[in-house]
Amino acid sequence: MFETIRQRIRDMKTIKALCFEAEKIANAKGHKEPGAEHFVLSALALPDGTARKVLARLSANPDQFEAAITQQYEDALRHVGFELHADAAVQPEVPMPLPTSTGPYKTQPSAQSLMHTLTREIMVKYQKENAAAPLLGAHVILAASAAQYGVATRAFRAMGIDPSQLADAARAEIMVSQKP
Amino acid sequence: MSKLQTLPSPNDPAQALAAVVALRLMADQLERKAVAVALAQGWSWSQIAEALGVTKQAAHKRLASAFTKSS
Repeated sequence: MFETIRQRIRDMKTIKALCFEAEKIANAKGHKEPGAEHFVLSALALPDGTARKVLARLSANPDQFEAAITQQYEDALRHVGFELHADAAVQPEVPMPLPTSTGPYKTQPSAQSLMHTLTREIMVKYQKENAAAPLLGAHVILAASAAQYGVATRAFRAMGIDPSQLADAARAEIMVSQKP
Repeated sequence: MSKLQTLPSPNDPAQALAAVVALRLMADQLERKAVAVALAQGWSWSQIAEALGVTKQAAHKRLASAFTKSS
């Protein structure tokens, strides 16, 4: 019981770190609020390393996800006849303000959906099975795999990964990581 | 805008909607860059708002926070 409470406190710290890093990444890339793709990048940077292992299970390089985001923007623009290097479109010369600790934390709807799936569905299910199960980066990737559309999903597809493959790999990594 | 027949086909909604997201991002960033240059050249928020076709309050509310640290 006491260990479960301690684990929930550690999970809250993980969520705080996840949100802070996602916002930092989003702002650096010229987005006012983080989207699901920024939460994936943030999960890949979590110290547990399980999000990176999910992609490694699919023979994908986790460090390529950022480039895949740019790639999907390029592909989308090409579809409507814009042949330009996406860096020119998505890399801001004017940085957005850095995150501040004042005011409510705001995200794009894609990130709200990811966090809802993560905290209200995935973690509820896993912690029902094992109350002391920690929140891992792999859970965030599993939550991201629930979306069928959007920037994060398109970026995974640009890496040759479809949502069902991603979900299977995330579940497998969670199972291995949570073995006592 | 008068040649609507030149718009890309929306027959593939997933691709078309992804393009809308990319174009919005590109427009937002072009807007911020242009406003930064305008401010550096001494434009007022009233002039920027007029050029964007919005009210001064709307332009300031949407864009000013991006320049509070750089201006």
